[in-house]
Amino acid sequence: MNIISVGVNHKTAPIEIRERISLSEVQAKEFLSDIISSGIAQEAMVLSTCNRTELYVVPGMPEVTGHYLKEYLISYKDAEKDVRPEHFYNRFYCNTARHLFEVSSAIDSLVLGEGQILGQVKDAYRIAVEVQSAGILLTRLCHTAFSVAKKVKTRTRIMEGAVSVSYAAVELAQKIFSNLSMKKILLVGAGETGELAAKHMFQKNARNIVITNRTQSKAEALAEELGTNQVLPFESFRDHLHDFDIIITAVSTKDYVLKHPEMQQSMQKRRLKPVIILDLGLPRNVDPEISGLQNMFLKDIDDLKHIIDKNLEMRRSELPKVQSIIDEELVGFGQWINTLKVRPTIVDLQSKFLEIKEKELERYRHKVSEEELQRMERLSDRILKKILHHPIKMLKSPVDTADTIPSRVNLVRNIFDLEEQNQLNNNQ
Amino acid sequence: MLLLITFAVSLLYIITTALYGADFFRRNEIASTYKQPALIVTIVAHATFIGMLTAPSGYQLGYSSYTIMSMVALTLAVIYMFIEFSTKTDKTGFFVLSFSTGAEILSSLLFSLAPDQGESFSGLGIGIHLFSATFSFSSIAIAGLYSILYLLLFSEIKNNRFGMLFENLPNLEVLEQLIKHAVAFGFLFLTLTILAGVIGSAHSGEQINLLDPKLIALVIIWLLYGASLFIKKLFGWDTKHMAYLLIGLFVFITLLILLMSLFSPTFHNISFSGSVI
Repeated sequence: MNIISVGVNHKTAPIEIRERISLSEVQAKEFLSDIISSGIAQEAMVLSTCNRTELYVVPGMPEVTGHYLKEYLISYKDAEKDVRPEHFYNRFYCNTARHLFEVSSAIDSLVLGEGQILGQVKDAYRIAVEVQSAGILLTRLCHTAFSVAKKVKTRTRIMEGAVSVSYAAVELAQKIFSNLSMKKILLVGAGETGELAAKHMFQKNARNIVITNRTQSKAEALAEELGTNQVLPFESFRDHLHDFDIIITAVSTKDYVLKHPEMQQSMQKRRLKPVIILDLGLPRNVDPEISGLQNMFLKDIDDLKHIIDKNLEMRRSELPKVQSIIDEELVGFGQWINTLKVRPTIVDLQSKFLEIKEKELERYRHKVSEEELQRMERLSDRILKKILHHPIKMLKSPVDTADTIPSRVNLVRNIFDLEEQNQLNNNQ
Repeated sequence: MLLLITFAVSLLYIITTALYGADFFRRNEIASTYKQPALIVTIVAHATFIGMLTAPSGYQLGYSSYTIMSMVALTLAVIYMFIEFSTKTDKTGFFVLSFSTGAEILSSLLFSLAPDQGESFSGLGIGIHLFSATFSFSSIAIAGLYSILYLLLFSEIKNNRFGMLFENLPNLEVLEQLIKHAVAFGFLFLTLTILAGVIGSAHSGEQINLLDPKLIALVIIWLLYGASLFIKKLFGWDTKHMAYLLIGLFVFITLLILLMSLFSPTFHNISFSGSVI
């Protein structure tokens, strides 16, 4: 039994190609239904995000190879003109499992350790379950992948630290102030960058966010969206600077919005209580001389990039730990796959003994009372369970190589005189 | 036997500090798991050792330098444990426990040189004097050590050096709170030390020598500490400048105690049983 994965991702194909080949949830459901009903796949799953589209397939026919699946997907998307098989990668068996484990752990992502991918893998599995294209193999593969991702999240620091400018701004503010809910925040500019920073602050319990913007209606709209409903007129916000512990600026302007004299005055009014100014504008919105003021932390985009670089470096240093978790789980998964090969023999063994039990009990059915027969049945069940325990345990026990499985299976089949098994050979 | 135990206690301090260091600097998982149990074991072992040491004198502490240094190490460790449990901040242990370890090693060395713990003191006043003196120095040490950490983190943030301290230390506001609490407790215990000492001496009929350098130093420290409680409001000092003052006081007092430990076998001379000069 093989598992094949084929796909395109941010490493193998540019965005135009990824767009052409991506599948929405509805399309993925249709695609999975088609591939199962046509017998191409016994099991199948589609993982389609902005950075990747991947198929995980347990082939239903011998001719279904990686190349076959690439061509099938390209033709399904009617993308022969733009997409070529060279844009794809394909993996088989344990490498497929390793790949999905790496994807779920976010070490194959564009931004190392990003937190969204696990949810996307879970969605892909949910869709496969909904269209009944996830069988025993994909179910086990996905559940192991979720377990790997959980272990990676708890045992390593691969997902720690901010890796975007707006998150880095929040991380920095939290290194100065202990409780953002107690701090007063001024957002100068209601554009996309400012909005993102304000939302991240809000996620960290900051509630006292006041917004000012040249176009007041934009500020009001953002304040309403955040639920703070606090807006200051752009013309007069400088009169209130001393009230704020955190000031975020993100406006397009050639001139500085905050200058040295007004901030100096504000610091005096604050009796030197620390202030952090996060200048997210480009060109910069705040006079750099302000950083010389006592207890003033002025940080621009370049400063915040230092935090991002440090966090990415830290995440990269965690990669060996992640790989070790994946290796560990891969061994377990491989051993489970091997148990699939012995499963028919276990079933045959159990059936044979049950048959013997039934035959023997049948001989006594009319010679003893119903109560006695039930007692004999319970006794036989206990004896069978004990007799079968060791052979089943031996069959299921881990093996170093797949080569030893047939010898084990043959041994058990010969000893217990089980009928010739064709399935074993078919499955390998 | 006691000599062996005192070095064993020092060894426990070294191990615990090393575990906190390995967790802080290397993020070692084993160190992270075992540092807190190691701290508890160290504190229990140390308290047991102090019990064994003072058992012959009815569990009353003497004024020997090694007893005082050992008590300083223990109270620092206990105060740190309290901070760790109450603030859930376990990343400053290496810095506080390093100082604790230094004090305990010094105590063990002094014990090996002169194991006699001197005369013990009875009476509630003297007991309070001794305990509050130990706790006040521990509070001063905590305030000084956290002030150093505050300044280091402040400088890291200001200069965009987002390194190990930035990553591991609690934020500036938490450090400021810890400093404030340490100063408040330090002032309270210093006040108790002076009051209990005066009452104890008066009770024993002993004349207090107002020119005693120890008494003068203690009163100066008490005044500076008291002033530092209000300095922010009165003179508009910020935490950064407060931190410099607290570090200065900490270094001064540590040097004073160190010199006294090295050049005098006891912190007080005894003229007769129960009285302190």
